[in-house]
Amino acid sequence: MMVAWLDRADRAVGAAVAAGRWLALPVSVLLFAQWPLRDLVHAYSTDANDLAQWLFALYVSLALTYATRMRSHLAADVLARRYPASARECLARLGAILCIAPWALFILVVGTSEVWQSLRGLEHFPETLSPGYFLVKVSAWLLALLALAQALIDALRPRRER
Amino acid sequence: MESAGFYMLGCVGLLLIGTGLPAYAVLIGVATLFAALGVAAGAMPFNLLTALPSRLIGLLENDLLQALPLYVLMGALLNRLPLADILFRAGNAAFARTRAAPLLSAMGLGAMLAPMNGSVGASVATLSRILQPRLRSHGVAAADGLAVVCVASTLGVVVPPSLVLILLGDAMLRAHTEAVNATHVAVRIINTQDVFRGALVPAGIFLLLAFVLAWWIGRREPPTPARERLGWGHRLVALGTAGFILLLLAAVVLGYVYAVEAAAAGAMALLLAGLATRTLTAEIMREVLRDTMAVTGALFALLVAATTFTLVVRGFGTDRLLAEFMAVLPGGPDVAVAVGLLALGLCAFVLDAFEIIFVVIPLLMPPLLMRAPDAVWVAVLALLALQASFLIPPIGYAVMMARSLGGEGVALPPLVRALLPFLGAQVLVLGLTLALPALTHVAAAKLESETPTKPPLSDEEVRKALQSIPLPPLPEEPPK
Repeated sequence: MMVAWLDRADRAVGAAVAAGRWLALPVSVLLFAQWPLRDLVHAYSTDANDLAQWLFALYVSLALTYATRMRSHLAADVLARRYPASARECLARLGAILCIAPWALFILVVGTSEVWQSLRGLEHFPETLSPGYFLVKVSAWLLALLALAQALIDALRPRRER
Repeated sequence: MESAGFYMLGCVGLLLIGTGLPAYAVLIGVATLFAALGVAAGAMPFNLLTALPSRLIGLLENDLLQALPLYVLMGALLNRLPLADILFRAGNAAFARTRAAPLLSAMGLGAMLAPMNGSVGASVATLSRILQPRLRSHGVAAADGLAVVCVASTLGVVVPPSLVLILLGDAMLRAHTEAVNATHVAVRIINTQDVFRGALVPAGIFLLLAFVLAWWIGRREPPTPARERLGWGHRLVALGTAGFILLLLAAVVLGYVYAVEAAAAGAMALLLAGLATRTLTAEIMREVLRDTMAVTGALFALLVAATTFTLVVRGFGTDRLLAEFMAVLPGGPDVAVAVGLLALGLCAFVLDAFEIIFVVIPLLMPPLLMRAPDAVWVAVLALLALQASFLIPPIGYAVMMARSLGGEGVALPPLVRALLPFLGAQVLVLGLTLALPALTHVAAAKLESETPTKPPLSDEEVRKALQSIPLPPLPEEPPK
C-alpha cells in the first residue's frame, strides 16, 4: 500500500518537474528580447524582464528537485565512491531525511503566511507594477514543497532488489 | 559561540569528503543542526532564521542569477552540437605549419569557449570529451594533452564574461558594500563590470603565456599524420563563431549590453545555428534541455544552501570574529591579502568555484576589504588564486576531474611535469598582479578615457537647469 503511494507520488513529482525543462526556452528568448526592445523599440523591455523573472523563478524551483532526481548535484565523493553501494544508499537516505526534509519543512511553515498574503493580493512587481510578482513568491514555496516531497520519497522508498 | 561558524566549516569539510553526499545537502544539514543547537542554547535569536524564506525569494528575483540557466544552456548546446569539434579542426588547420598545432588549437578552443563557460566542472567535461581522443589520435603525449585540457578548462575563471566572473562580481559587490558600511569610507562600490575590466589585462597576460607554453611543449610532439582538411562551410562556421564571441565580449566589456543579455544572445545564436545547420534535432534538443535543467538545479541548490549556511554563520557572529582576526593580522594589507588568498587556495582543493563564491567569499571578503580597500585588485587576485588552485596536482579540482574523465591512464609524475610550466606562468601572473595593483585598473582607465564625456556645465546652465525643475505644490493652509 505504502509502496504504491510512494510510486504514485514519485511519478507525479517526476512528471511535474520534467515538464518544466521547456521553460528554459522562453526564459532565453525573453531575456534576449529585452535588449532590442530597450535599444530599438524603446518599449516593453521591463515587461519582458518581469515575465522572464517569474518564469525563471518557476524554472529553478522545479530544477532543484529535477537535479536531485537526475543525481547531478555537485559532490566531493573521492572517498565515498569506494564505499559499498548499500552504505552509499543508506547515507543518501539519511541525507534526505536529516538534512533536506527539516529545512524544507521549516521554509514551508515559516514562509506560508508571506506567500499566502502575496497570492491573495496577486502582488505586482514593486518597481514596475507589472503583474505576476506573487508567482516569484509561490515559486519559492513550491521549491521547498518539491524538495520535501522528494526527500520523503527518497528516504521511505524500499531498498532496490539486487 | 562566535567560533561556531568555524566548527560548521570544519563539519562541512569532513562530511563532504566522508559521506560523499551532495554539497548542498551537507551545507543545509550542518546549518540546520547548528541553528537548532544555537537557538536551544540561546546563542542565536529564532527570529533571525525566519528571514530565510525572504532570502530564498531574494535569490529567485535576482536579475543577475537569470544568467545562470543561459550559460548552462550554452554549455549544453556546445556539448551536444558539433561546433566545438569544428572549432578544434579549424584551429588545427590554421596552425598546420607547426607540430604544436593540436595543443595550440586545444588551448584556442578553451579560450574561445571560456567566456561562455558555466563551471570548471562543465568545461572539463566538454573539453575532455572533445579534445582527449583527438589529441591522442594526433600522437600528442597523454600527459601533455591532459595538462592542456586542464589549463584550457580553467580559462573561464579569468576570461570575462564567464558565469564565474559574473557571480564573483556580484559577491564582491555585496562584500564591498559591507566593508564600506563598516569602515564609513567614501568610495564607489564596485560592480560586475569593474571586475570584468580588472581581469582583462592579467587574463590576457596569462592567455599569452599559455599559448607560448602550448607551442613550446607541442613543438616536441611527433609530426601530425595528415593535414586537417576543412570545407568552406566549416571555415565559415569557425570564423563566424570566433567573430561572434569577440563581438559579444567587446559589447559586455564596453558596457553596451548587460552580461545576462550577452548570455541570452549567445544561447539564442547557438540555438539558431543548430536549427539552421539541422544539427539540433528534436532528440538532441530534449537532451540539451534535460542537461540544462539538471545542471541549473544543481547550481541553484548550492546557492540556496549557501544562503542558509551563511545566515546561520552570521547568526553566531563568526563574521565579526573573522573581521577581528583580519584587523589584528600584522604586516599591513598585503599580508592580509596573502592570508586571504591562501585560504581561498586551500578551499579550492575540495570546492568548485561556485561553492567558494557562494560560501567562502561572503564570509572572507568583507573583513579582507576592510584591510585592503582596492576591491577590484582583491577580486582579480582571488580569481587568479582560484584558477591556480584548480590546477595543482593531484587534488586540484580541474586535475582531479580531468583524470577521472578519460585521463585515468596518465601517471602523476609526467602530468606534474607537464603542468609545472603552466603553474609557473600562473604564479608569475599572480605575483605580477600582487606587486602591481595598477594592472587591474589599466583596462578600465583606458576604456573610460576613450569614452566621450560632456564638458562641465557653466554657472548659467546650472541656474537654468535648477529653474526648470518643477517645484512641488505648497501645502494648503490648515483651516483656522
